[in-house]
Parts: sequence; C-alpha cells; structure tokens
Amino acid sequence: MSEKKQRSHKAEMVIERLGQKLNRQVVGSLAACVHCGMCTESCHYVLANPGDPTYAPAYKADKVRKLFKRHYDWTGRVFPWWVKAGSVFTDEELEELKDTVFGKCTNCRRCTLNCPMGVDFATFNRMTRGLLVSVGIQPEGVAVVSKDQWEIGNQMGVLKEDYLDTLEWMEEELQDELEDPGVTIPVDASDCDVLYAINPREVKYDPRSIADAAKIFHAAGEKWTMPSEGWDQTNFGLFSGDDALGGSVARRLYEKVIELNAGKLVISECGHGYRSTRCEGSNWAGFDVPFEMESSVLTMLRYIKEGRIKVDRSRNTQLVTFHDSCNNARSCGLFEEPRELLNLVCENFQEMYPNRAENYCCTGGGGAMSMSEYTPQRLKSGVIKADQLKETGAEVVVTSCHNCVDGLSDVIKHYEIDMEVTQLVNLVANALVIEEKVVVPVEEVPVAVTADEVPVAAALEALPLSGRVIVVADDEPDQVEFLATVLEDNGATVHRAGTGDEALELARREKPDLLTLDLHMPGRDVGEVFEMLREDPELEDLKICVITGRPELRRLIYDRSVRRPEGYLDKPVDEANLMLNVRKILELAHEEG
Amino acid sequence: MSQTLQEDTSIQINQCVVRLIRDDITDIEVDAFVYYAQHDLALGSGFGGAIAVRGGPSVQKELDEFDPLETGGAIVSGAGNLKADSIIHAVGPRFREEDIEGKLRTTMINALRRAEEKGFRRIAFPAMGAGYYGILPAVSAEVMLDVIKSHLEGETGISEVIICVFDTPQFNAFQSTMTNLN
Ligand code: SF4
Ligand code: SF4
Repeated sequence: MSEKKQRSHKAEMVIERLGQKLNRQVVGSLAACVHCGMCTESCHYVLANPGDPTYAPAYKADKVRKLFKRHYDWTGRVFPWWVKAGSVFTDEELEELKDTVFGKCTNCRRCTLNCPMGVDFATFNRMTRGLLVSVGIQPEGVAVVSKDQWEIGNQMGVLKEDYLDTLEWMEEELQDELEDPGVTIPVDASDCDVLYAINPREVKYDPRSIADAAKIFHAAGEKWTMPSEGWDQTNFGLFSGDDALGGSVARRLYEKVIELNAGKLVISECGHGYRSTRCEGSNWAGFDVPFEMESSVLTMLRYIKEGRIKVDRSRNTQLVTFHDSCNNARSCGLFEEPRELLNLVCENFQEMYPNRAENYCCTGGGGAMSMSEYTPQRLKSGVIKADQLKETGAEVVVTSCHNCVDGLSDVIKHYEIDMEVTQLVNLVANALVIEEKVVVPVEEVPVAVTADEVPVAAALEALPLSGRVIVVADDEPDQVEFLATVLEDNGATVHRAGTGDEALELARREKPDLLTLDLHMPGRDVGEVFEMLREDPELEDLKICVITGRPELRRLIYDRSVRRPEGYLDKPVDEANLMLNVRKILELAHEEG
Repeated sequence: MSQTLQEDTSIQINQCVVRLIRDDITDIEVDAFVYYAQHDLALGSGFGGAIAVRGGPSVQKELDEFDPLETGGAIVSGAGNLKADSIIHAVGPRFREEDIEGKLRTTMINALRRAEEKGFRRIAFPAMGAGYYGILPAVSAEVMLDVIKSHLEGETGISEVIICVFDTPQFNAFQSTMTNLN
C-alpha cells in the first residue's frame, strides 16, 4: 500500500501546512542543527530530568525536523535513512507530537542562546503547535482559552459588563483610599496621551493591580484612558502557534487605539502580552501600527525620572529579588529598566542567578498554566526555579509578568518556599508619595456618651461584615484559621469546614451569605460540591468565592454549566486583598459608596 | 490594507434584509441566534461561556436532554435570560476536516430550516466556523451568503438575517461577498 493511502486526513493536513509555514528562519533552524548537544544543559526540563533524553531540545526538535527532511528537503527524499527523515501517519502519532511540543517545552528560548548554529528551537516548536492546532489537536486548556479569546475577546472569557464593573469598583476603592472623589479610571476617553491595556488576569484575579496603575497615572497627572473593548493586551496566539488568532487579537487592540485617537499604547506588566503586542502582532495582523507602544515599566520609570511622581523607597523594606520573564528579557531585551525602577522603589534588592537573558523560565511560559494534563512534569521541572529562588534568600520575588506570577506562585507553593510574588506596579504604588490635600478643619463638637451607650457594641455595629454569615471551606487548618480570624475580626459569624461535604452541610444548615471554597479538599470532588451548591434552590442567594493555590484546577469550576463563582482569589491571600474581595462580592463597596 | 472601521452593510433579498453588523452575538435582541455548537452540545467556552453566564443554567439543562448531534445537525433551545428568545445550536465542520464547504452548507440549511419551523422572523448568524474553528472568513462568507440567498429567494417567514461578526478580517470578508452579491 502506498504511504499516502495509509496516512490519516489530519496527518495529511499537517504535512501540507508545514510546507506553507516554512520560511527562511524556520528552514535555517530546521536544517542547521549538527547535534553538538550544547543546548542540552540550557533547558530546565533536562536539568530536572537527568538521564531522560526525551527532554533534550535537539531530541524534541528532531521530531519536527524528520518531517521537514522527509517531505521538504531533498536530502531526506534521496537518503531518508541517512538524515533520519520520517513521516507521521496516524492521529495517535500527532497526539504524541502534541505531548512533546506542548508538554515538554515552554518556548522559553533559553536553548537558542547556547546554540552555535543559531537554531531557534522555540520558533519551530511554536510553528508545530500551530500545525496541530489547525487540525484540532491541542490540549483541552489551549482549546478553552483560544475559543474565549477568539469569541469573547480575551483569554479568560471576561464579559464586557464584568470588566466595566471591575473598573468601576477599583475607581471607588481608589476614591476611598485617597479620599478624593476626583480620582477616576476613565473609559473610552478620546484624544488621550495614553491608552492603558491590561491582562484579563487583572480583572479576574488581581484587580488591585488595576487600581495601583490608576493611582500612578493619577499621581503623574496623566491624560489616560482604558478601552471598553479590545482591552486585552495578552495574546494566546503566541502560545498556540495560531497566527490568525495572534493577528486578530493584536488588531482589535490597535484599532481601539486608533479609534480613540490615543497618543501611545501602554501595556501593563505581562511578558507574552508585551512581546505579542509590541513585537509580533503587527506582522501577524499585517497591520502598520501608527502609534508608539511601551511597557508600563518604562512608563513608571519615566514618570519618576521626569519628576511626575515622587516615590519613597523606605516604604518597601523587604529583601526583594527579580525574575526576568523570558518574553520580556530574552525575547524583547527589557533587562535594565525593571532593575532601575526596582532600585528606585525598594531598599533591598538582591539579584537572582543566573539572570537577564540567562534566567530560567518560571515554568509557566508558553501557556503551560492552562495545560493541566502536564502539571506534574511542569512542577517537576520547577525544581531549577525553586533552587534559584531559595538561593537569593529574598522575602519577595518581583516580576513583570502575570504569567510568571502564576508560574512562580505554583513553584513556591509546591517547593514550600517562604516567599511572596509581586509586580513592579504594586511596589511603585506602595512607594508613591501623594501630596495630601489641604483640608480646612471643621470644629468638632464633642458628643456626650452616656453609660448605657455601650461603645463596644457600637464599634461592632460599625464593622463591615456585621450580621454576615460566612462558611470557610479549606482542608489546611492554618488557612481556615487565617481566613476565619480576618472575617471574624471584621464582624462576620464564621463556620469552618474541612471537606466538601462539610461545606455542603454547613451551607444548607446555616444559609450563609458567602462561602469561601478551596478547590482541593479530601472527599467529594469540589467541582461536584460547587455544582450541588449552585443547584440547591434554597441557596440561590449564596455567593461563592474560590480561594485556591492550584490555579490549574480553575477548570473544575469554570467548565460547569452552572452560575460561575462571584469571586476568585489565588493563595497566598493577604488580609487587605481578602477584605477587598469579600466586600466586593457582598456588594458592600457599592452599598457604602 | 484598510485601517478604518467600516459602517454596517445591508442588502435586500426579496422582502428580507440581510444585515452585517459588528457586535456580540450573545447580547443582541433577535428571535434567535445561531451558536456553532459541539457534537455533545456542551456550551463550553467562548460564546458558549457567554450564553451560560448571561443566559443562566437553564440553557445547558435543556441541551442535556438532547442526544449528541452529527455534523450538519441543528436543534433549538430557549435562551434563558439573554436578550434573544431562542438559540439555534448548529454543529458545523471544524479544523480543516474533509469537505468543509459541503458540511457548512448542510449546517446552514438545517439552521434555517429550524428557524422556519419555529416561525422565527429575525435571526442572527456568526461568521460560521471562522475564528476558532479555522475556516477562512472568505469561505465562510461565500457559503453562508449563497445558502441564505437561495433560502430567501424561496418561500420564507424570515424578515431579517443578521450576520454578526467580531473582527475586521471577518467583517471585510462578508462585506466584500455581500457587495458582489448585490
Ligand atoms: S525553549 Fe526552553 S523549554 Fe523549550 S527546549 Fe528550549 S530551553 Fe527547553
Ligand atoms: S546547540 Fe544547536 S546545533 Fe547543537 S544540538 Fe542544540 S540545536 Fe543542535
């Protein structure tokens, strides 16, 4: 039987498309490898799996190279046995290729640095991902995220109303914090100097970063806006290898900047978002970008240097280290600016080694955080990052990338390192010195308090969560105690649950206003618990806030056909963030406002 | 390459208007809109996620009662709390599978058939199969408009077909096909 007859339709399509994707850069990389092995030790997967050759960059590359040799290179057509040319025939073989290109490489490009022949494995690894995606062979998480970004316009499926509501909420928080009703987060304002685009993770899991950026723009007196649509600066096309998605996403953002006639696009801290929007997007989209684009790191640095904002570094006293995001640093050359900014807003900075272009991946690159089937091997490869982090002795690791925040948080939790993760925007906002407004004092008239007006009761009455009933469900006793104590200190009545079944029972018995739900507890599957809570007609008004240290488990909840949780928090949770979110979920922020 | 945003476009076929707009298809007022469904009718992410969140759990519950659909098949469900009254779930071809155009044609015919059966007058389609499922916008536009045109030239209760797209490349493809049709 001939080779063509035996090949599946998908395999046929992959080979055909490979021919369309070959350009000078890809062919150069595919043809140039001399198997010297110098790239091998660059890869964090190799270092974490000594003795397993299947993680070596050249081995992984050969899986794609053999196709090129067999079908598009004359040497492979004439001497296939000599140049190790080969083909793919079945869908199972394509699935195996999927496990290599998605599960064994984060496209971090560290191996590229060490190749004397200039082989850029990450580039054709991405191309291979794209070939597989084009025939529908992809990890489930990649499918979910890509579809969200194609159809809703952002990677996390955040609906327009939720995005706008979050901006409004952060505006109110900021007005309260600065005691200034004039502080705003402008939306769709025309003719501004800056249009600020963010990562949907900020809306969903880290809204404080939006407020922090707004505080900085406000202090700098910037004429700025956020767009109501086309606001996602991230781009899953970079990870999935789908150039059409890459072009479509980038174009939505570019078109919005033009429509609002903004002078400059400022991209919030995100490695792959910056690389996609600033460096790759215009090629994918075939779009001439007529405006300037800048990472918010540069914007913040500029504000300080130009004297537009004042900062006090003594407000950030902890020992911090810096993790270079692969996309920001290795791929886009942002090395010194974040360090300069860090030194202006922090007292104690300690380099991590190796660093800059030589830094190791956080393990979450290339969309790895969305591919839960590969989590064990990802976390295993994280031992390299964990050792790097531990050696710094730092209390805080700073990074300029939301993906890295998730990747590092996961490594820190898995390897039990006592370290927080934060971004530059949070440190700059914390160090910001805002001139206090001159307030004309109003003479206070002392009010006499009689003996029976009990001050303690009055104080309790004034607590933000007075009268609220909350169930805290988590299998880690320390976590339960922490959450319960904060909530009780703020006036709530708290019931504690250690399993999903206990959470269900308490919810049904106590009819709480809010239930905080850990996603990984012994006993009944938490996804099932969530669905049962949602489907119980007696618990229609119950609000649920997921609090998890396992972001890859989000799917357990978000894939169900029931109402989504009202809130979501990543562990570790601090008191301020917990209260901020609880007040938002219980709509106290609005009531109080 | 055009970098300006286009105006909406419409054409008349018999008594019926075919209108091209840029909007969120899950958030418009129509008798029904078409959702490019999966075989098992799970709403999933993307527009499916928006239907689940905005429409509420009743939509998926109703879908759970149906058997899985073959490619080309279409069924109708309620739309929960959405602005639309109903949703036509149509399973089109995906990801460079064989005979994309033929299967897309069948899917369109079945979706329109369901609309007629239910007496829907205003219906909306996305750029069927374009975007996530990888069908080229130009192919989607050609097939969709050809089927819509043939359908509206016959006896129909439909008065308005809205093609609701998200992206400029999709908009441009439909606009140029509609212009040629005119
Ligand atoms: S790109 Fe990074 S993860 Fe992939 S093989 Fe090279 S070093 Fe390893
Ligand atoms: S360093 Fe370059 S030439 Fe050597 S094995 Fe790696 S990719 Fe091939």
